[in-house]
Amino acid sequence: MLGLGSASRSKSRLWSWIGAAVIGVSALLYGSIASGEPRTNAERAHSLSNQFACPVCDGQSVAQSDASVARIIRREIRTWVDEGRTTDYIRTQLVADFGEDVDYTPSASGITSLVWILPVVAGAGAVTGLFFVFRRWKLEADLEPTKEDVALVESARADQS
Amino acid sequence: MSNSSLGAAAVALGVAASITGLVVVAMGLSNRRGTWKREVHWLVGVMTFAAIAAVVIMERALITRDFTVAYVAENGSSRTPALFNFATLWAALEGSILLWTMILTGFVVAVVVKFRDRHDDPMVGWALFTLFVVTTFFFMLMMGPANPFGTFDPPPGFDGPGPNPLLQNHVLMAFHPPVLYLGYVGFTVPFAFAISALITGRVGEGWLVATRRWTVMAWGFLTLGIVLGAWWSYETLGWGGYWAWDPVENASLLPWLTGTAFIHSVMVQERRGMLRVWNLSLVVATFSLTILGTFITRSGVLNSVHAFVESGIGPWILTFFGLIVVVSLGLIAWRGDQLRSPGRIDSPVSREGAFLANNVLFAAFAFVVLLGTVFPLIVEAVDGRTISVGNPYFDRMTMPIGFSLLFLMAVAPVLPWRKASPGVMSQRLIGPAWFAAAVVVFSVLVGARGWAPLLAFALGGFAAGASARQLILATRRQGWRGLVGRTNGGMIVHIGVILIAVAFAASNAYVRQDEFNLVPGQTATMSGHELTYEGSTVIEYSNRTERVARVRIDGGQVYVPAVATYPFAGQSINIPSVRSTAVDDIALSVLSFPEGDDDAVLLRSTIQPLIVWLWIGGIVIAVGTAMAVTPGTRRRPTEPASAPVETVA
Repeated sequence: MLGLGSASRSKSRLWSWIGAAVIGVSALLYGSIASGEPRTNAERAHSLSNQFACPVCDGQSVAQSDASVARIIRREIRTWVDEGRTTDYIRTQLVADFGEDVDYTPSASGITSLVWILPVVAGAGAVTGLFFVFRRWKLEADLEPTKEDVALVESARADQS
Repeated sequence: MSNSSLGAAAVALGVAASITGLVVVAMGLSNRRGTWKREVHWLVGVMTFAAIAAVVIMERALITRDFTVAYVAENGSSRTPALFNFATLWAALEGSILLWTMILTGFVVAVVVKFRDRHDDPMVGWALFTLFVVTTFFFMLMMGPANPFGTFDPPPGFDGPGPNPLLQNHVLMAFHPPVLYLGYVGFTVPFAFAISALITGRVGEGWLVATRRWTVMAWGFLTLGIVLGAWWSYETLGWGGYWAWDPVENASLLPWLTGTAFIHSVMVQERRGMLRVWNLSLVVATFSLTILGTFITRSGVLNSVHAFVESGIGPWILTFFGLIVVVSLGLIAWRGDQLRSPGRIDSPVSREGAFLANNVLFAAFAFVVLLGTVFPLIVEAVDGRTISVGNPYFDRMTMPIGFSLLFLMAVAPVLPWRKASPGVMSQRLIGPAWFAAAVVVFSVLVGARGWAPLLAFALGGFAAGASARQLILATRRQGWRGLVGRTNGGMIVHIGVILIAVAFAASNAYVRQDEFNLVPGQTATMSGHELTYEGSTVIEYSNRTERVARVRIDGGQVYVPAVATYPFAGQSINIPSVRSTAVDDIALSVLSFPEGDDDAVLLRSTIQPLIVWLWIGGIVIAVGTAMAVTPGTRRRPTEPASAPVETVA
């Protein structure tokens, strides 16, 4: 009876998991795909302002700074967004006007690509290392004692007694 | 005697007591006679007295506006309000080192008192030796490049500029730096015991157990300090943000990341005797990163709105940082054979497997933050180009790590040690899974959109469900004592972290910002809120003149963003005004006032959801940390796991 009860509980728990997964994933997919309120130009301009450094400030973005040049750049970005310019266009314009260091997104080419590549390489190395460590631990755990090992232990026990 | 002379004498006394303490402890250790206890107590007392005296003398100089002290002449002012005048002690580089040193000597006193019955133990002796090395370094800084008691010859009628205006417009200035320093400096104690364990060869679990509460408390203070700093930035800087991946912010996050990894991985060593090298490396990394953070904040190598002015302190700190790293790594290499773990992890799906994964993720997080922070310096050194690394990089690289950590926060607490069966996992996680599903459905129903924030909410719900399950089970068994102890307090901390993660995701994903030109009486509408500009007034204070805009939000209360002009600092700053509710915040700041009263004001409005939950999360973490260091009913920490490995058919 106990075994049957346990099997029944396992089955109902499996259905419960399926129910939670279906409801949760469906809601997640719907929320990901369905469009919410349309993104306004102001919101896109604000998002872009966060991606560029204020050229005269100590580590503040264009969105954060109250410096007059930051205000001018915010207005320029807003104008470009209203004109329907792409992000790449806006990036090119700002880098041309104020220099490479206003762009908070490091380029994916040349030496700056290392900032993107190194964490991926280090992460892959860590995962590979862990894989081999676990594999070694598993192999050690699976070792069976040989006849010589057993004889050695028996002889040691006999000596102790 | 003048304040400068008295202060310099106090610093000199501190240096002398610190160096003498170093020598006396070293002699006691080499003679193995254990006769140094009384002398060390005395020297620690003198050293601490010197640090406290130096702080009191500096406060006296600030309060009496003694401009013959250069620090007061450069940072003090007769117009600065009392609270901010008191806090001017840590408003600039030299004073901040003074505060750091005083807190450090306080920790040394606490160690001496706590281990008063073990002073003959070389483990405590070498820890004290290490602590004296660190105190000597900081006292020496005050004798050299960070001398707070330099002299100045003020002309008649001289008055100083006061501290940076950004440091005198919010009450958190009085609390954020000291709390943050309690965290930074607190990690010196576990570091000292780690070095001691390496030198004495007692690299087992003893040093971990001895310093566990010190580590958790330091971590709690650091966390609270970071949250208070974020809150201060949000209320002060006027752009509706609390975290900008700024180098100084990153400098505080780095030791937090490695410290968080450490307080998880110590449990694996305590229970299974494993990860010895890793734990030693983590505690060394955490302490080293606090020193590296000091370098980044005080050397002027990286631009930051939070940094102190550029100074000659950089090479000193960098040398000390290098010394710590070289000595620590040398000791770890020297003790290599003894650090081999006697155990092994039976299964990746186990509590220790989850902690290992947690540590890999935290290490990856720290690596990304460190690389992104120093990468502009590397590129400039190698290529001569100046580049910036900011929000887009950090957001993109840390988001998957953050999601993975939230997932682990859900799974790890329900995993047994050694090996978990699918049945156990299924039974323990089904409740949290339903809670996660309910959170996503609710979020979608209230209008949340976008896969990233929804995934963060789902994983946050999953992790919160797992933490709540643990707390409910514990309180059912033990009543209120089910809320204390490392495991249960840790679950409360997890809930605080989840609140912050969810609030971070929501406030970043659904931020709205716009600028409006409004004449008096005119109303702007933004995301369903009405902002009515009612005019402006000018208010004179002792240290500043404020022009204040009156803005009524949704026909209710009037909020007052302002522009403050500090004439003696020659600077104007924005003072934002924030309406906070449990659902969203509206942060208002004035970008420019018109010349005439009837012209338009340029107003910036930032609306972000769930901001207040960031601060509530910080409070929950503080409470959880206090619970975690309160002794609960638990098995002895050095007791090995005794449960047999479950056989899975």
